[in-house]
Amino acid sequence: MTQTDRPPQAKEPVVELRDIRHGFEGVQALRGVGFAVAAGEVVGLIGENGAGKSTLVKILTGVLQPDEGTLLLHGEEVRFANPRAARHAGIAAMYQEPLIFPDLSVAENIFVGRQPSRSGFVDWSEMRDEARALLQRLGIELDPGTPARDLSVAERQLVEIAKALSLGARIVLLDEPTAVLSAREVDRLLEIVRRLREQGITLIYITHRLDEVMQVTDRVVVLRDGEKVADVRTAETSIRELVRVMVGQELAALEQRRREAKPGDDVVLAVHGLTRYGYFEDVSFQVRRGEIVGVFGLVGAGRTEVAQALFGIDPIDAGEILLDGRPFVPRSPRHAIRSGVAYLPENRLLNGLVAQLSIRLNMTMTIWQLLARLGIVRERPVDRAVDDLAGRVRLQRGSRRRAASTLSGGNQQKVVLSKWLATHPKVLILDEPTHGIDVGAKADVLRIVLEHATAGVAVVVISSELEEIQDLSDRILVMRAGRVSGEFVTPVEKDDVLHAAYGLQQRVAAGGAG
Amino acid sequence: MSLVRHALRWEVGLTVLGLTLFAYMSLASSDFFTSFTLQSLALNATVIGFLALGVAPVIVSGDIDISIAAMLGLCTIVMAEVWQAGVNIWVAALVAVVLGCVLGLANGIFVVLLELPSLAITLGSMGAYTGIAFLILGGSAITSFPSSLITLGSGLAGNAVPWSTLVLLAVAAVLAFLLHRTTFGRAVFAIGANKQASRFSGLAVVRTKLLVFVISGFMSGVAAIFYAGYFNTAQGGLGAEDLLPAITVVILGGVSAYGGTGTIPGVVLALFVLGVLQTGLGVLGFSGQEQTIAVGLTLILALAVSAAARAVRARFAASAARAPA
Amino acid sequence: MTSLRDRVDSLLASLARAPELGLISILVALTVYAAAALPAFRTTGNADQILSNSTIIAILALAETLVLLTRQIDLSVGAELGLCAYLVGSALGHVGGGPPVAILMALGLGAVLGLGNALLVDLVRMPAIIATLATLSIYGGLQVVVTHGSQLYAYQLPHWLTTLYATKWGPLPAFACVALVLVVVLTAGVQMTRWGRDLYAMGSNPEAAGVTGLPVRRRTYEAFVACGALSGFAGLLYAAQYGNVDATAGNGIELTAIAAAVIGGVSLFGGSGTPAGAALGALLLIEIENILAIEKISIFAQELLQGLAIVASVAVYALVRRYSQRLGARRRRLQAAGPLSGAAVVEPAEAHP
Repeated sequence: MTQTDRPPQAKEPVVELRDIRHGFEGVQALRGVGFAVAAGEVVGLIGENGAGKSTLVKILTGVLQPDEGTLLLHGEEVRFANPRAARHAGIAAMYQEPLIFPDLSVAENIFVGRQPSRSGFVDWSEMRDEARALLQRLGIELDPGTPARDLSVAERQLVEIAKALSLGARIVLLDEPTAVLSAREVDRLLEIVRRLREQGITLIYITHRLDEVMQVTDRVVVLRDGEKVADVRTAETSIRELVRVMVGQELAALEQRRREAKPGDDVVLAVHGLTRYGYFEDVSFQVRRGEIVGVFGLVGAGRTEVAQALFGIDPIDAGEILLDGRPFVPRSPRHAIRSGVAYLPENRLLNGLVAQLSIRLNMTMTIWQLLARLGIVRERPVDRAVDDLAGRVRLQRGSRRRAASTLSGGNQQKVVLSKWLATHPKVLILDEPTHGIDVGAKADVLRIVLEHATAGVAVVVISSELEEIQDLSDRILVMRAGRVSGEFVTPVEKDDVLHAAYGLQQRVAAGGAG
Repeated sequence: MSLVRHALRWEVGLTVLGLTLFAYMSLASSDFFTSFTLQSLALNATVIGFLALGVAPVIVSGDIDISIAAMLGLCTIVMAEVWQAGVNIWVAALVAVVLGCVLGLANGIFVVLLELPSLAITLGSMGAYTGIAFLILGGSAITSFPSSLITLGSGLAGNAVPWSTLVLLAVAAVLAFLLHRTTFGRAVFAIGANKQASRFSGLAVVRTKLLVFVISGFMSGVAAIFYAGYFNTAQGGLGAEDLLPAITVVILGGVSAYGGTGTIPGVVLALFVLGVLQTGLGVLGFSGQEQTIAVGLTLILALAVSAAARAVRARFAASAARAPA
Repeated sequence: MTSLRDRVDSLLASLARAPELGLISILVALTVYAAAALPAFRTTGNADQILSNSTIIAILALAETLVLLTRQIDLSVGAELGLCAYLVGSALGHVGGGPPVAILMALGLGAVLGLGNALLVDLVRMPAIIATLATLSIYGGLQVVVTHGSQLYAYQLPHWLTTLYATKWGPLPAFACVALVLVVVLTAGVQMTRWGRDLYAMGSNPEAAGVTGLPVRRRTYEAFVACGALSGFAGLLYAAQYGNVDATAGNGIELTAIAAAVIGGVSLFGGSGTPAGAALGALLLIEIENILAIEKISIFAQELLQGLAIVASVAVYALVRRYSQRLGARRRRLQAAGPLSGAAVVEPAEAHP
């Protein structure tokens, strides 16, 4: 891929980034990224997880300030001290889960705080009319009087876009807007993106879905490891090309860290036709003793939802689960744990860690009852268990009685992982286990997974980092739009997996849109 | 900042505050440091103490129960009615305690099983329980309980320490054990701090929360026995004035109003501080209502201090985080 | 499929949107029943009495509504009422004064007390329930301290005040007119001004309110101050209605006020409910009390009924809303399943509530 120094564009740039750098806790998220966007242009911003996309969004919206580099708006250097400053300058961002007021109507959500008024009184009909006109201009079919509570996520996103435009935004960032949308909703959103472009709005479209990029963008900027690796006209590239640039050249040279031990023959977990309407459908797979199955897919492909159904968090509409050959209907996490299933959740702070509680209590949370006698806590067994677990996960030294919130992200993840190792699970499901942690902790987490598989645990690793999954797994399951779109035995070409994940038909037998 | 250390510091602060107040009152009035005054201090604190100990686990678990005083009232009246019907007073007392558990369970069912807001539900049950108590007894009062109950409620062990204080401390010890030394107690703290993560970790969230509400009712039932034994009367609306002091004691004791932190020893210390303050002010000639104002101000002051401490700590933490990695 | 079920669903959905409709039907049904069954209920005098007696509770419920809308609560409204009733009454007794002076004093004193609550919530960052529980005791204590155990008697109050309760303005009792005016003013205030809409927005989603740049802190102060001022005004009416004001005036009345608001559909989680609903809630409570009195059922049943009404209305509103939300989610889930599967969608077995 050619890396162009001068971005291909004709008009004056509206936004320009020059050599933006940003680091956090020793991790350099952006290492000098620069590009420019012209008025009325739609630029796709793509890259794998951790490539630096979200950091870039935060800098553009004033949530973060760059360590180095300059941001130019209409040719003038600006510095956003806070989100409000960015909004004031005409930059609006729309995220996957929009912030709306559920009790207020669509119209009022758009105009909250600045409702059209006549002599001090809100002019409701005027507000409804303005909202209707605005929505119509954007081609959004929504009744302005509907309470926002009754809207779907897709509709809430549209309301947020309308709100941003009515606030005078000329530059709109869409951050993975389609990850949580159905196919029909995606089409509608893309239609609106086109309409906005016609009206001279500048759009930066961040997504994992390359087919969308090909459909609506004029230009694509590709990030990898915090650097810009490509900046091309959409018309002059292809999905295949973009995937190659995104992933990097060195795929063939990738070192496979294979394990000595081979997985056993007996199936521990078998899933047949598992379905939860609207989230995933007809998902079938097997995990054998000592096997690591990687689950790859885009955000919103239904991976986490399958895991949560297996763990008894969400109900199942149809399908069958067999655990050690016996039917298993998970009623609750408690029931799943007792049956030998462990689940490391994706959101560490929300669902994993009890930040106020001490490190040692967090590490043993799942086995408090086992370590106690008649419900009475015994400190010695807890300490022994904590010492053992801390050794296994290589937790940093220091008092185990401190609050878990005092640890770094990587060590917090080790603490959460410990509580699952403590249950001696038959099936260990890990949801983005290395997300947002430092390199050292990452290596430890991967090593622990390998060790447990070697010891006979059936492991399922959900990850958006393909290299990690390739490296670790015996088999890779690819999900797309709620269905299994491919299954591969490693070693496997990166391309094949990505094609299944992005819905390219050529080399995949089981298509995404059955 | 470690929570353990924070809790310890809070309790040290309370102890210092209590002892300072105690010394000041003793110096300010010769009537304070007398066995009579100290005994009435202890006797006056008993009922509030039971209520506070009962509601503390609820608040730690991230909810609230403002029906504690109403449960106290209803339990006392039912106990009195049962006794007047000719039943042995100790059997009647047992009925009161069991009733307390049932009332607490009713709260728990609405809050936990139907997932309704505890504030609204216990506000409603507060009215309902008070109303039932009035319906049972009307405007009259039952008095002249048997001497055995009076002895328990207001008598002195060895002519020195009130029996009720000994029972209160014993119950506090049991509750401290339950909350700080059992898996149930740990679950209460974990749920109060992060309900979702607790559920994901397989803790029995529903059962634990139900039990917490039952404990609250149980303690109101126990408080009823001592109410009757101390005040020697049962009439509609009794105990309503104990709600605020009980919750004040819990919050002053270092239990976070948002759940997840707190200790039983802290609650006991806060009870001591408040007792010294109220009795001391009484000895110094302040009226009951002026004492109530002091209680409210103490609560505000304690929270203001902890808010200020939190702000300072947050600033330190922020500057530490900004230091190079 | 079944049109009956669809009809029930749409009924529940509209109930979730406008709880006042359910309340009005209950009120109408109760009134029709009582008018038919109880001759004593039918008199004009009795109707006037119900309306007048609802007024103080209604005003307190209106006051509470302003705070509840922002996802806060004020437990001190009863104490604010009592303190204002005594202080304003005494001031009028000593210096005299016409209605404008009296109203200004009541509003002003109440506003100051409300400001105290706001300061605790904003500056000390106390949860509103704890803060106002504390001020409940402080204001209540102050009330006792200032009364010195004595009480204010009707003869000490100005004539215009003590006769207000029995006065009729046109067909309606003066009290009811005052309540009506306040309902109209507050409805206009919260429905038709940006100020009021900010209150709804804050309670509906505090995080979004902050991000959107609404003046959240300022509105918090204003809501508590307005609540205090209205409570103070209710205190003035209390003096007018009862003539005698002592240390216990307003004790426990906050429970009734919150009950009225909650029964009227004002959510304890903020963001929904209307002044009219709160006032109707007060009317319903007083009408029940009135009927119980005519039926010679113990007045003590009132408190029980009130408590049960809170529990029932909270449960009904929450469950109805949850049900209609679940319906919407299921509809969307099935819709989403359409293009995803490309096949006819089977009704999921678990979704039947």
